[in-house]
Amino acid sequence: MSLRFQRLILIIITLVFFCSAVLLILFNTQKNIVFFYTPSELIKNDKNLLEKKVRIGGYVKKNSFLQKPLNNYQFKITDNISELLVFYEGILPDLFKEGQGTVVEGVLNNKKIIIASKVYAKHDENYMPASIKKELEKNNQWKKDYK
Amino acid sequence: MISLIGFFALCFSTIFSFTLLIPVSIFKINIKYFILIFRLSTFLVCISFISLIFAYVSSDFTNFNVFQNSHSDKPLIYKITGAWGNHEGSILLWICMISLYGFFYSLISKSANEFKILVLKFQSALFIIFALFIILTSNPFLVNSVFVEEGLGLNPILQDPALAIHPPMLYLGYVGFSLVFSLAIASLFRNNLDQDWINEARTWSMISWGFLTAGIALGSYWAYYELGWGGWWFWDPVENISLMPWIAGLALVHSLLMIRGEQAIEKWIVFLAILCFSLSILGTFLVRSGILTSVHSFASDASRGLFILLIFFLTTGFGFLIFLIKTPSKKDDLHLLLINKTSALIINNILMMITVFTILLGTIYPIIIEVLTNKRISVGGPYFNSTVLPILLPGFLLMSIAPVLSWKTNQIKKFRIYVICFLILSLIVSLQSYFTSFNTWGFIGLILGSWIIIASIISIMIRHRFSFTIKYITSINSFIAHIGVGVMIIGVTFSSIYQKEYNFNIEVGDKVSLENEILKFNDMQIIEEKNYQSLKANISIKKKNGNIIYIKPGKNYYPVSKMITTEAGIYHDWFKDIYITLGSENNNIWFIRVLINPLVSFIWLGVIIMVFSSAIAVIKK
Repeated sequence: MSLRFQRLILIIITLVFFCSAVLLILFNTQKNIVFFYTPSELIKNDKNLLEKKVRIGGYVKKNSFLQKPLNNYQFKITDNISELLVFYEGILPDLFKEGQGTVVEGVLNNKKIIIASKVYAKHDENYMPASIKKELEKNNQWKKDYK
Repeated sequence: MISLIGFFALCFSTIFSFTLLIPVSIFKINIKYFILIFRLSTFLVCISFISLIFAYVSSDFTNFNVFQNSHSDKPLIYKITGAWGNHEGSILLWICMISLYGFFYSLISKSANEFKILVLKFQSALFIIFALFIILTSNPFLVNSVFVEEGLGLNPILQDPALAIHPPMLYLGYVGFSLVFSLAIASLFRNNLDQDWINEARTWSMISWGFLTAGIALGSYWAYYELGWGGWWFWDPVENISLMPWIAGLALVHSLLMIRGEQAIEKWIVFLAILCFSLSILGTFLVRSGILTSVHSFASDASRGLFILLIFFLTTGFGFLIFLIKTPSKKDDLHLLLINKTSALIINNILMMITVFTILLGTIYPIIIEVLTNKRISVGGPYFNSTVLPILLPGFLLMSIAPVLSWKTNQIKKFRIYVICFLILSLIVSLQSYFTSFNTWGFIGLILGSWIIIASIISIMIRHRFSFTIKYITSINSFIAHIGVGVMIIGVTFSSIYQKEYNFNIEVGDKVSLENEILKFNDMQIIEEKNYQSLKANISIKKKNGNIIYIKPGKNYYPVSKMITTEAGIYHDWFKDIYITLGSENNNIWFIRVLINPLVSFIWLGVIIMVFSSAIAVIKK
C-alpha cells in the first residue's frame, strides 16, 4: 500500500467515526429526550402525551400526601393553578416534604394522573430548576404559601 | 477583624499582581524582583484564604459568609472544610491555587528567564481576573449586618470526609490547566513551539489530570454512598461538565506523551491546552450561574453567572485569537501510516474530541431548546449512554494495541501472539456469557476490559525484562494506566448491568433470604452524635460460608437545618457490594431496599491505578 493510500484510509476512518457520531446524536435527541412541564402547561398542552415519559416540576400540595402500604405513595403536585395526582412506588428522597418543590418523572396515565418512576427533591431549601422557577415567578407563584 | 485582614491581603495581592503586568519596556524590572513580587502575591492570597479558614474555625459570625454556612456545633474538620463548601470560599480557593501553581512553576521551571516571566505574567493576569470576580461579586469577607450568636449551618449532606477533600482535588485539576494555558500562550507569543515548553507542559498537565481524576472519582464515590440511589454516575449536568475537561485533558496528556517534534501535533497541543482551561471555566460558569437544571444545587446568582461568562469569553477568545494569529505555519510531514503510533494517536484524539462535543451538546441542548422554542426538556442518562459509549468503543479497542504499535512502520512485533490470545479470550467470554445470562453490553464490556488488561500484560512481558527498579515501572507505565482503564471498564460494566435489586417490608427479628445470603433485621438503635441524631438499623447477613457481617443503614437527623439524610449501609467485598437503604416505617414494619452491586470495587481500583500511573509519569523525567 502506498503512503498516500494509507492516509486516505485514515481520513475515511475519521469521517466514518464522525458521521456515525452525528447520526447517533441525531437519533438519540429524537428518542431520549424528556419534556419538562409545570402542571398547568401540561394540562393546557394539546399534544397527546399519554403514555409518554414527562417531567413535571412544581410543589407538593399540602395535605395531599398519602402513604399507602409502606412504600406506595400518592400526592398532588401543583403550581397553584392546576394540579396533578402522582402515584409513586419506591423510596422518596430525604428532602421530600409537603409544600416543598419537587420534580417528578413518569408516564401520564390520563390527563391528570401520573405514574412516577422517579421523584427528585431539591438538595437544599432554595433549589428549584431555574426554568421552572421563572415560570412560577411569571405567574406570581414563587415563594408563596401553598395550601 | 480576621475578615478585614483577609480582605486586605486579597486586595494587596491583586495590586501586586497588577504591577507585574506592566510591560518591561516601561518598568524595568529584574527577574529576581519579578519573581519576588509574584511570590509575595501568592503569600498574601494564602494569608487571605487562611484567615477565612480561621474565621470558620473560630465561628466568627460577624462574617456573613461564616454565618451563612457554619454553625458552632459542627465538628472541627467540617468547620475547616466549610470554608470551601460554599461559592465565595471555593472561588477564593480557586485563585489561591492559580497563584500557587505559578509559585511552584517559578520554583521548578528551568526555562529561560524571559519565557518564565511571560508565563508568570499570564498566570497573574488570570489571577487578577478571578480576584476581581471575588472582590466585585462574591466577597467571602462581607460583614454581617445584624448581630447573631449562631450560624445557619452547613448542608448536612456536604458534611462528609470524601466531599471535604473533593473540591480541593477537583480545583487542583481545573486550575492546573490554567498553568498549561499560560504555558501554551506564552510559547505562542515567543513564536517558539520547541521541546522545552512541551516538557514543562507534560509535567503540569499530568499533575492536573491526575488531580482531576482523583477529584471526579471522590465526588462519584460520595454520590454512591451518600445519596442512597445506589449508583455512582448519573449523567447529571454537574458531572458532565467535570468530565469534559477531563477528556480534553486526557487527549492533551496523550498528545504530549506521543509527540516526537511534529509541528502539526505541537499546534494541536496548544489548541488542546487552551480548550482544557476553557472547558474548566465553562464548567464553573454553567454550575455557578444556575442556568443548568441540576439536582445538585449550588449558589446561583445571575450577576455572577454573567461575570463568569465574561471571563470565559475573555480568556477563551483571547486564547484562540492568539492561537490563530501567532501559530507558526512551518510545514512538515506527519508520519501517517495506517496503523502506526501517530495515526493511533490522531484517531484517539478525534474520538475524544467527538466525545467532548457529544457531552457538551447533551448538556447545553436543554438551554438551546429553551431559548429557541421556549420548551423545556431534560436530557438524561439514556442519551449519554447510547451516544457516548458507542463513540468510545473503537477508542477502547485501539487502546489495547496502541502502545505496541511502532513509530515508523506498519508492523506489530509478535503479532501472532496477540491474535491467538484475543481469539482464546473471546472464546472464553462467549462460553461464559452463553452459560450465564447473555447481555450485549455486558459481553462487549467484559471482552474489551479483559482484552485491554491481557494485551497490556502480554506487551509488558514481551517487551520489558522484569526487575524491581523504578526504571522498570516507569517504562511500563503506559501499560499500567491502560490496565487501570481495563479494570474500570469491567467494574463499570458489571455494576451497571448485573445490579440486582430486592425490596423488603421487614419487622425487627425477621429473616429473609437473598441469593446466597440470609438477611436478618436485628434491631433499631438511636445514637446521639455531636450535631445530629442517628437512627440505625442493625442488619446482619449470614453468608454462604457461615461468616456473619453487619450492615447499618440509617437516617440522620440534623436539628440545625432540620434535615434528614439517608445513610446507606454498604458492605464492601472484592466482588460485590451489598448496599442497603432504609425506607419509611409503618406500624413497626420497615421498608428496606437491598442492592447487590457486583464489582464496584473494580471501578475505584481502576481509578487508583490511573492516578498512580499519572503520578509515576510526573516523576519520570
